[in-house]
Amino acid sequence: MYELLTSLMGDLLLQTGLTQLWWGNIVMIIVGGYLLYLGIVKKYEPFLLVGIGLACIVANVPGSDLIKPGGLFYYAYQGVELLILPPLIFLGIGAMTDFGPMIANPSLVILGAAAHLGIFVALIGAKLSGFTLAESSAIGIIGGADGPMAIYVTMKLAPHLLPQISVAAYSYMALMPLIQPPIMRLLTTKAERNIIMEQPRYVSRLEKIVFPIVIAIIVNLFLPPVAPLITMLMLGNLLKECLVVDRLAETASNTLLNIVTLILTVAIGSTMNADSFLNFTTLLIIVLGLVAFVFGTASGVVGAKIMNKLSGGKINPLIGSAGIASVPIAARVSHTVGLQENRNNFLIMHAMGPNLAGVFGTAISGGIILALVGF
Amino acid sequence: MKIPDSIEGAALLSCIDFFLSFIFIAGIGGVLYLFPLLNKLGEVKEDKY
Repeated sequence: MYELLTSLMGDLLLQTGLTQLWWGNIVMIIVGGYLLYLGIVKKYEPFLLVGIGLACIVANVPGSDLIKPGGLFYYAYQGVELLILPPLIFLGIGAMTDFGPMIANPSLVILGAAAHLGIFVALIGAKLSGFTLAESSAIGIIGGADGPMAIYVTMKLAPHLLPQISVAAYSYMALMPLIQPPIMRLLTTKAERNIIMEQPRYVSRLEKIVFPIVIAIIVNLFLPPVAPLITMLMLGNLLKECLVVDRLAETASNTLLNIVTLILTVAIGSTMNADSFLNFTTLLIIVLGLVAFVFGTASGVVGAKIMNKLSGGKINPLIGSAGIASVPIAARVSHTVGLQENRNNFLIMHAMGPNLAGVFGTAISGGIILALVGF
Repeated sequence: MKIPDSIEGAALLSCIDFFLSFIFIAGIGGVLYLFPLLNKLGEVKEDKY
């Protein structure tokens, strides 16, 4: 009887995750907890970090089949692996984005390219660190600060690096209010930060309707590799601007986006298993991601300083850092730093121009990389 | 011909991509400069249908 009881208790213990737990799981559970702290307490991009944080914790509690083939998180990850979720995210983003600031001031779109120097600094840095060109390109795209684009390019070029790259991309996007301001202040003078820009012109409904159609044709014609993302972005925007499909625009920008965000964040967090995540490669990618963001911010600000000089002092260089694609986080950072210098300086609408252009900048960079490196 | 998987290839890819990004974005900016001309074609009412 005693032996039977002991045997049964032993079998019960073996089917728990306790016997498979190792220190790496504990470390990653703490990492997941820290992401939850950043999202819930500090309120840094909670829509991203809450799902990622909890899924990271659960992915490191061994014993369940959640992340194994056939498990719930496994199927969530299929949405990423099959490149279904990133275009749907772009559909929702397009349906909630007003491209008016970008249309109103076309000269500022150049900052959407200037702020992407970080992609190439990280790309070369990754190559020097020993990654292949395909892996380096996927790592570099972190500097575009565009989560769906980073996932898309990574799945095409280096799918085995998706956990590290997606976590780095989304984490740094959430931490932009910490990373960018010191660099912005370092590279600008007080006088430059105080520049108040002219009000942008009025953009008509007709222009906003034509915009997604024209952009879809141009970008897809020249950069077919990123056609799925740009098409969905422009479709979402057209749904919003045409005013005749309210229900579809509302669904795309709210319900659908929320559902896809939920699945995407869980999928990303579920890949943060200690077995594949805790290694030197991850550390290297996280460092390179930070390098990409720092150089991207700096190059955007420098680009805006040059434009300021050429325009005779009409452009506040703080909006240059918004050329990084993370919409609207980067624009908000520019606005906040501007407000700290002058409480009457409202830069948000000016910064949205380069911020939105940055989405296209990342798409263009990603498209060229996919075309040249191959997919 | 694909770009070689080397440091030189990475540098070449970066230069080409960075340069072309400016060209593409400037092209988009150039198209956007023409957008005010659309308003001469007509007007779309802001009221929802």
